[in-house]
Amino acid sequence: MSPGAVDVDALRVSAQVMVLATLLCLVPGTALAWAIARSGKNTAALLSSLALLPLVLPPSAVGYYLLYAFGRQSAFGNFLIDDLGLRLVFTWPGAAIAAAVVSLPLFVRTAQAGFEQIDPELLAVASTMASPVRSFFAVALPLAWPALAAATLIAAARSLGEFGATVIIAGSVPGETQTVPAAIYDAVQAGDRPRANALAFVSMVLGLIFLAALSLVLQRQRHR
Amino acid sequence: MERHVLRARVGKRLGEFELDVDLAARNELLVLFGPSGSGKSITLRAVAGLVTPDAGRIAIGETVVFDHDRGVRAPARERPVAWVPQGYSLFPHMTARQNIGFGMPRRMDAGDRIDMLLALLGLDGLGGRYPRTLSGGQQQRVALARALARNADVLLLDEPFSALDEALRAGLRDELLRLRRELGLTIVFVTHDLREAHLLADRLAVLDEGRILQIGERDDVFRRPASRRVAELTGVQNLLAASQVDYSDGRATVDADGVRLVCGSIAPGAYEAARVVAGIRAERVNLRRIQDGAEENHVRGWITGEWAYGNTHTLRFAPTGPGPELMVEIASRPYEVLHVAEQREWLLELPPEDLHLMPA
Repeated sequence: MSPGAVDVDALRVSAQVMVLATLLCLVPGTALAWAIARSGKNTAALLSSLALLPLVLPPSAVGYYLLYAFGRQSAFGNFLIDDLGLRLVFTWPGAAIAAAVVSLPLFVRTAQAGFEQIDPELLAVASTMASPVRSFFAVALPLAWPALAAATLIAAARSLGEFGATVIIAGSVPGETQTVPAAIYDAVQAGDRPRANALAFVSMVLGLIFLAALSLVLQRQRHR
Repeated sequence: MERHVLRARVGKRLGEFELDVDLAARNELLVLFGPSGSGKSITLRAVAGLVTPDAGRIAIGETVVFDHDRGVRAPARERPVAWVPQGYSLFPHMTARQNIGFGMPRRMDAGDRIDMLLALLGLDGLGGRYPRTLSGGQQQRVALARALARNADVLLLDEPFSALDEALRAGLRDELLRLRRELGLTIVFVTHDLREAHLLADRLAVLDEGRILQIGERDDVFRRPASRRVAELTGVQNLLAASQVDYSDGRATVDADGVRLVCGSIAPGAYEAARVVAGIRAERVNLRRIQDGAEENHVRGWITGEWAYGNTHTLRFAPTGPGPELMVEIASRPYEVLHVAEQREWLLELPPEDLHLMPA
């Protein structure tokens, strides 16, 4: 196996993890953001703390908890494996779930800001005319979409760079669960400077692309 | 007697005061008038279902939409009312048509109804436009059309014209009166603009600090305020502290700063009040040339202040003999004809029929 092939694999695994993690963030993240933006002070504070918890935990701690939850040590893990046939430990979907958990706080914060920017009178008018579900999909969602797009980009970028939680739950098996950050760690440990350089450079380019996309989205938001 | 279309008793603890209003309306335009923060908007929101009162009952026609004691609380969208907030609040991502159609049940003829509403409000050809490309007046019309599209029994308008300039306001007020006539609407209209209140109201409720001080036919409220506070709020500029009240034949004779004044109308609360004031609007005071013989209801005074408003002049008179200080409003034409600019001392006549006695 040439080092080049391994790096393409790392990029592929990273892409898979990023896409799945971002998709996993979308629905719960949007729902949480909306709930926080629309509930009273106390409920909002509680939900907000819950949503932000992964941000203040070390990612390795998040990974450790997920390892416990998805593995053989827990009833939930046994249920997943025996009854649903879902093996998440040492798989890339497991890594994606870990990345999603770590990215969720950033998604929620960004999306929440978008919902909070909506003129409350608009939502009040909508509530006098339509069901909460219709108000959400026809009014809140379209008005908050630039923030939701920004939240998606930020979550994607965060999942792409996630290392601590993913490596604990999924390990670093080249071609299967080894993401770009994990590959950089391996390369540095192995003293493979050219490989570490190449991967770090790719990460930087990808990061810049995300930032460019983000600033485009945020510009649109300002122009509304 | 006709059934009430709207009957609302609303109690709610607010920051600085307790909201406690009780009002009813039937096929008329009821104006809720009062200073900002008096509880007008919150009353409207309670009826619309956007805030939950701590006490009371709200019925629209036969439908009880809120009853605190029985735990009834219909969601806003199920109440047969249409609410237009102060800033129109059009959905910025929807065209005028989509805005109007938003609250309509999706039926076969929805499109026709939108066309009809666009035409009714003089918005032909603007249906495809987004709110930001419409003028303030057009946006307000779209907001009205969107409210009318709900086919509600009661239209709730919260200072709908306050963001528009005077010329546009006049047009929209006319429009509203026309719609009210043509569609037989029951409208509750919130404003803190005295002239607007007078122009639009069939009936008028005067609110202050969460309470309705007076509710009644417009002219009744304007001519016979129930108390000093109502008089102040409805723009009665002369409120004269009075004493030695003598009642006979529905008239009262009082002493105000040493001048005898006969008041032709008496607020019900005045009889038992410890302190009373005699009120007269500035435009009701007549200027007379100085002559001898102190008559009843006359005060001799000279001008100490003057404000020119273009079509009217407001004059402040200090008494030269006994009597109170008085504000007088006079149209520009008589002001010129009488040479008020040169002639500074006048006898001021306070016609008994325009002097109203009320509790202080």
